[in-house]
Amino acid sequence: MVNSLQELQDFIKTKNNYSNFISSSEVPEVCKSEPCMLGVDEAGRGPVLGPMVYGIAYCPVSETKVLQDLGCADSKALTEEKRDNILTKMLTEESSLNNVGWIAEVISPNYISNSMYRRAKHSLNEVSMNSAISLIKRAAESGANITEVYVDTVGPPEKYQAKLQEIFPDYKITVAKKADSIYPIVSAASIVAKVTRDHALKVWQFHEGLEMSHTEFGSGYPGDPLTKKFIRDQIDNVFGYPMLVRFSWSTAELMLQEKAAACTFEEVDDQGSTKKPAKSISSFFKQNSDDGKARKRHKFFDERYLTVSNPFE
Amino acid sequence: MSIQVENNLRNVESKEVFEQKAHYVPCKIEEDGPANVDKYFEPYVLEEDGDLTASFRGYPLDGTKMTLPEGYRAVVITEAKRPLAEDAERKFQVAGGFKDFTYWNWDKKPSKNDNLVKALDWIDISDAIHGD
Repeated sequence: MVNSLQELQDFIKTKNNYSNFISSSEVPEVCKSEPCMLGVDEAGRGPVLGPMVYGIAYCPVSETKVLQDLGCADSKALTEEKRDNILTKMLTEESSLNNVGWIAEVISPNYISNSMYRRAKHSLNEVSMNSAISLIKRAAESGANITEVYVDTVGPPEKYQAKLQEIFPDYKITVAKKADSIYPIVSAASIVAKVTRDHALKVWQFHEGLEMSHTEFGSGYPGDPLTKKFIRDQIDNVFGYPMLVRFSWSTAELMLQEKAAACTFEEVDDQGSTKKPAKSISSFFKQNSDDGKARKRHKFFDERYLTVSNPFE
Repeated sequence: MSIQVENNLRNVESKEVFEQKAHYVPCKIEEDGPANVDKYFEPYVLEEDGDLTASFRGYPLDGTKMTLPEGYRAVVITEAKRPLAEDAERKFQVAGGFKDFTYWNWDKKPSKNDNLVKALDWIDISDAIHGD
């Protein structure tokens, strides 16, 4: 249980920052019996630095006034200080603790890069959707009586809504653009996600031995001058970047192409199987001058990529 | 061309220099020299039920520990400066070695079908063909 922003920071620090983890409230008793609405939103989708955080918040359909009292409104219009205040109230005030539950999943930058660089690539949309789905399930499994779900989306809402409706046939599901400015429960989810991301960046510890705080690497958005400077300056010739960076972002990819040692992985097609090197058209017209001269190697060696070579050449 | 390998480490007391940690990564890195393995790679190696995972340049890796075939050892040698003339004698220095290493695949559990494992078959076969 987390009772203050300081405790939230301390909790984040106990988790390793290259894997995903969950931070959550207790389920309020009333949410186990009363029908509840649940909001889903994310923070930190675009930045090249730091985790993406998915947040959900839920409360009884009959108790939405609590959300208004907390000040849950369009979270983008709230200042960082306002958001911190609202989460503090959610962590401490009786009326909120008794009615509003929440869960956040911190999705590490390393997990994001790894997903996007798998043999069969996972898009950020898939990562996002999977997180949203698992959080809704988690709330229900921990005892919350969910009946309505409101989801903020960046992409087209129709497909996403159909998919969620298929997974959760018993819930009334609404997927909408800018849902956090329309539905206070989504706004609450958004605040949980945003504040968690901000604090995850504040307590980020580099295993790479960098002594640098978030005031030096900035917001993480590629347009932020401090973030730009970080991406330009903090390059390791072999390993590229510290794990704070999402390697799969084009900002990072392009900079490494330019400034770090070239690295080539095996090429794969979209399904994830190894590409055979394409034979060039001209090779079909070329006379095979080696005919009869070179001894053909047994396929044992070809299959094992064994050749006779001299490393001292 | 002749090659001379100097071993200045012959009398080094500690064994550590010949038992260094080594990683075989599934990627061609166009760089030859020291690397910050202990800071940028090893902190992120996780072990679960004997399966290793790690990450290189954002790519997910699956790994396993491998030992060198019996009777073999790995030696790292360096050349301070390559002579300009093609036929000049070349001098190498022994810089260290390793006894085992971690083999990494890109997003694929290591298995006996991996090229390196299969390539090592040759050691037994060649011994059967060419050995005493």
